[in-house]
Amino acid sequence: MRMLLAIVICKLLRFIGKLVGKGSSLPGRYALKLCPDVLGRVRLPKHIIAVTGSNGKTSTVEMIAAVLRAGGREVVYNAEGSNQIEGVTTLILTHCTLGGKMRGDVLLLESDERYARYSFRYFHPTHFVITNLYRDQLTRNGHPEWVYDAILPAIHPDTTLVLNADDPLVACFARGHAPEKVKWFGLEQWNGDSEEHRGVYNDGALCPVCKHPMEYDFYHYAHIGAYRCPACGHCRPKPDFAVTELDLAAGRLVLEGDTPIQLSFRSIYNVYNILAAWSASRLCGVEKDTIAGVISRYILKNGRMVRFTLGQHRGTLLISKHENSVAYDTNLRYVREMGGRCSVLVIVDAISRKYFTGETSWLWDIDFDQLACDTVERVYLAGTYVNDLALRFDYSAVPREKTACFADIGQAVEAIRDSGDEDLYVVTCFSDRDKLLSRVQVERQEAKEA
Amino acid sequence: MKLQLTHLCPEAMSLYGEYANLLILRRHLEDLGVEAELASVPLYSAPDLSQADFIYMGCGTERTQKAVLQWLLPHAGGLRAALDRGAAVLFTGNAMDLLGRSVTDRDGKSWEGLGLGDFTTAETEKRTPHDVIATPALWEGAAVGFMNKCSTASGVTSPLFTALSMGFGNDREGGGEGFVSGDLYATHITGPVLVKNPAFTDYLVGRLFALHGWDLPEARPAYPHEAVAYAVTLRELSARLRG
Repeated sequence: MRMLLAIVICKLLRFIGKLVGKGSSLPGRYALKLCPDVLGRVRLPKHIIAVTGSNGKTSTVEMIAAVLRAGGREVVYNAEGSNQIEGVTTLILTHCTLGGKMRGDVLLLESDERYARYSFRYFHPTHFVITNLYRDQLTRNGHPEWVYDAILPAIHPDTTLVLNADDPLVACFARGHAPEKVKWFGLEQWNGDSEEHRGVYNDGALCPVCKHPMEYDFYHYAHIGAYRCPACGHCRPKPDFAVTELDLAAGRLVLEGDTPIQLSFRSIYNVYNILAAWSASRLCGVEKDTIAGVISRYILKNGRMVRFTLGQHRGTLLISKHENSVAYDTNLRYVREMGGRCSVLVIVDAISRKYFTGETSWLWDIDFDQLACDTVERVYLAGTYVNDLALRFDYSAVPREKTACFADIGQAVEAIRDSGDEDLYVVTCFSDRDKLLSRVQVERQEAKEA
Repeated sequence: MKLQLTHLCPEAMSLYGEYANLLILRRHLEDLGVEAELASVPLYSAPDLSQADFIYMGCGTERTQKAVLQWLLPHAGGLRAALDRGAAVLFTGNAMDLLGRSVTDRDGKSWEGLGLGDFTTAETEKRTPHDVIATPALWEGAAVGFMNKCSTASGVTSPLFTALSMGFGNDREGGGEGFVSGDLYATHITGPVLVKNPAFTDYLVGRLFALHGWDLPEARPAYPHEAVAYAVTLRELSARLRG
């Protein structure tokens, strides 16, 4: 009876919430108050896929949803990104019959890495995809091992783990888990790898298991690559699902040696999102050709890359989460590898859109030296924390005469508009995105790359 | 004038951009005519601190911190000897915890500390990440930064910061924070702490000059990016404090 009441109340509140434009957490919150174990009572679909990790959750979930739907599955997923237990409850109950049976073939959940253990207290995923663990929002997350410890209790022995083999910390989730319930995805060696670590810090310097120095055969980026610990033997497992060839410049990769895919966005991040989506979809029984077809036509719709015009400049906004140096580094690498004559605008105004902090130590984790190249003509710095940025650049390889500082974002935009015609890349966070986009002419189609 | 700045375990104890503390200090010293050499002591190497004039360690994960403690414990005498002959030492983040008598982890296991401070540390189930405004014991003006800790320290009688108007002190909100004993300095304030607080950098530069009997030049270079970054952070945090 309490379950029925919880479902009815949840559906009702969600209906009203949609009418008045309210978020999706509140109905679930009330439902949980009425029936705390409601998620353990409802009947869920055969496949429950959860995706967690520091970066790429939303993109991966959206890609999996598109693939599974093309494969004929009815997919229910938290498209609004409400990834804590209240939002998950709303999602599940609003898709339930009054008898407590959830509609759909697949329940697909983007799961907040710190709260997964609460979401999965009364049910558990059949497949748990863990993409990566980076330094991300350390003001909330502490550090990657802290996040690892938070995810660990969310893992049920019956769940099949789908893990990034190239991340030494993620690989630790397999320890103590039945080997037949662990599937690995990874990127094989390609010509963008380096033998030496690149970046300001190396979270792969020490083995996450025994804390002795690790060795790498190659690095893809940051601490992601082919690692092994001579002391305890922790090493990159052989992937079950692998990108066997990659040509980022040509926008092409090959999966499992036989399935080519065209990349709509030529970023190494996207390669891993595709890998995770490929693995989860294959495990749900979708044919290779179906997956390849969807992914090759797939256009990211998450607004993380926006084309615009400013004066004579052709602009590209690359969303790089503040407090996430790997996201910044990846976009800076993209700017450098695009190779054309350009300027770069970095904005740090509101460090987070969700909470207040004045913490800027993450700026020192970003490898801004990547902008020290002939093709980068100017580096504009802007926002409330422009002096912290400028101080960081004082200790970078970027010549000081190339940088210009503006506390006021509007003044920075005007200065750029009034000079030059080189390409412009803007690197900033969701929290500061609209402070740029409201001042430029945005192209209507987002994230499309020829 | 020549100084050696020694960074302990930079590859392991560097969660919050701590290497920048040494870059800032080195540049300030160099701008005053000091030849400042940076030296690294990796985890598991034999630390030779006999030439070190300034010894620094930053913050690590709790598991890394324990590995570092086990490695450093047999060398506590070397650290003490360096202090006795006039070196300055700064430990930030949970490196501070190593300096006390013991660290009790979340499982209740007690780890023997380096014993350079008469305090004990207990790790907590939750982290207390927080922006910080602090009152320094040794220099004028407020200090700012962030702390990202999961421990409380008991028994500190000489905190580096006498009170916090924002953030968690050694054992309670608003209470004294950090530890100072002679030229041994410790704090959980990151930022990195010298990057965010030019006055702390100035203080340490002054101490390093004094320890070597050098006269500080009257004319000091200006660092406008440091000064304005500090002022903006203090302004933003103070506005938050006022609500």
